[in-house]
Amino acid sequence: MASAVVNFLNATLDWVTFASDGPSARAVVFGVHIGGHLFIEVFLLVVILFLLSQKSYKPPKRPLTNKEIDELCDEWVPEPLIPSLNKELQYEPPVLESAAGPHTIINGKEVVNFASANYLGFIGHPKLLDSCSSALAKYGVGSCGPRGFYGTIDVHLDCEARIAKFLGTPESILYSYGLSTMFSAIPAFSKKGDVIVADEGVHWGIQNGLYLSRSTVVYFKHNDMDSLRETLENITAKYKKAKNLRRYIVIEAVYQNSGEIAPLDEIIKLKEKYRFRVLLDESNSLGVLGSSGRGLTEYCGVPVEKIDIITASMGHALATEGGFCTGSTRVIDHQRLSSSGYVFSASLPPYLASAAITAIDVLEENPNLIKKLKKNIAFLRKGLSKIPGITITSNPESPIVYLRLEKSRGSMKDDLHLLENIAERVLKEESVFVVVSKRSTLDKCRLPVGIRLFVSAGHSESDLLKASESLKKVVASVLGGQN
Amino acid sequence: MAKLYVKAVPPADLNRNTDWFTYPGVWTSYILILFFSWILVLSVFGCSPGIAWTIVNLAHFAVTYDFFHWKKGTPFAEDQGIYNRLTWWEQVDNGKQLTRNRKFLTVVPLVLYLIASHTTDYQNPMFLFNTVAVIVLVVAKFPHMHKVRIFRINADK
Repeated sequence: MASAVVNFLNATLDWVTFASDGPSARAVVFGVHIGGHLFIEVFLLVVILFLLSQKSYKPPKRPLTNKEIDELCDEWVPEPLIPSLNKELQYEPPVLESAAGPHTIINGKEVVNFASANYLGFIGHPKLLDSCSSALAKYGVGSCGPRGFYGTIDVHLDCEARIAKFLGTPESILYSYGLSTMFSAIPAFSKKGDVIVADEGVHWGIQNGLYLSRSTVVYFKHNDMDSLRETLENITAKYKKAKNLRRYIVIEAVYQNSGEIAPLDEIIKLKEKYRFRVLLDESNSLGVLGSSGRGLTEYCGVPVEKIDIITASMGHALATEGGFCTGSTRVIDHQRLSSSGYVFSASLPPYLASAAITAIDVLEENPNLIKKLKKNIAFLRKGLSKIPGITITSNPESPIVYLRLEKSRGSMKDDLHLLENIAERVLKEESVFVVVSKRSTLDKCRLPVGIRLFVSAGHSESDLLKASESLKKVVASVLGGQN
Repeated sequence: MAKLYVKAVPPADLNRNTDWFTYPGVWTSYILILFFSWILVLSVFGCSPGIAWTIVNLAHFAVTYDFFHWKKGTPFAEDQGIYNRLTWWEQVDNGKQLTRNRKFLTVVPLVLYLIASHTTDYQNPMFLFNTVAVIVLVVAKFPHMHKVRIFRINADK
């Protein structure tokens, strides 16, 4: 086929050459010999001149026919806004019908509550209620604006000073939403190009902060100091020549996803050896660890100024809302303009700030609350040990008693299903309210899921005994049936 | 009354893939590139001027056909895919036909063909190659060929 085309073209060209050399083409017009070459050249020049003489125009747009429009509409599939919800994610939590104290009402029935981080039993405390009532009478309900506009009330400044005094730091800063404390504080300091070494078990609020900072995030194994040391060595070697580089270690004092306690003394040694900064989240350790409830620094005997940035949520032990960040004056002042949760959110309602002040006062006046909490934790752990199929993986001093399956069912989904079954039966049959780990589609934490019991100083021994006995019974029936 | 306001003229071409051809001096640069390519071919291959012009013409054909009439879309993300189905030739001057730039780009292959054929004295096989190249290039630049895909060659999807 190709050769035939080539032959045809060759024959045509030969004919053209022959024609241009033919005697008839050598006519003489007014004494000028007309050759084939001249003919082709004049023809092309005429074509060029014709082309140049054309006027420009816009080609008319051909409208789509109705059939084409219908076809385009039929084949169009928009991208879904959210990932499709599978059946496992559709979960209806129990609804509380009274305050979330050590005892609460669910479906008209009183239950023992181990689902709220009410570590010191301050929910419903008369002094806190009085403090809220008087603050409401004096200031009204809301603050009506961000701190930088008209949202600063004198009770905010008092609360910040009180927190700094309690923890022994120069200054602190209030956030109006506990979860946003860490994911506003991290992006305020760490930027694109900086490096963050984070524990793989940090909760979603911290993960969101790591994401929003756009820094390079490296995870180390959960509460594993050898893994942390190895990671810090690798990063120090890798970024040896980088000059403008900030380096952070992000940890939780008591990990929400596992109940383990970070060994802060070892972390401080590594921090000083490799020259990193430490961001410490004390949400579950404030009011819990240490002889006077000042958190992990007191518990590990580390001076508080060794920690660069400390954050905590006030919704746990202090039984109020919001969060704070505490540290040096420079750390705090920087956040007043650089932290999104502080600059752009309405500030903490004044009665919640006054409740926080009162909570710290009550805590300092009653150090036996912490002793009671520790005793309750030990008592519950003793009752929950030796349950076949279930093991306690949290730290003996952790207020979150974390129960894990000894043998996993093979996937997080199946484990969650089984654990939710246990929790549901414990609630229905034994009137004990416990929670299973919640992992959203955004959560990157890959630790095993389990059942969490939040111990409170307000629990009585009979409450703790009831919880351990009921869990023992239900786990035996559920896992016994499974095996 | 004097003019009180400056009349802001909108830019002629917002497409970063084609607006470089509206820069001043681009015609001169285009012609000079061809001329210096001819000199380069003469120096490197040591062939006759006619063969060198043929090589330049064929190279010009290959390069311009690929970049102007075959590749689609733009390398820039700002236009959000509005030109994904258009060749460069269809994007030029926002699709307006027979503009000055389009005429220039159509005349250049014709003039190159004239020079190459004349300097090779219309001898085969150079004449064949030159003729095929110029026909393909000029036909592809016809106004009637705007967004036309013959036998679905280089068609979408």
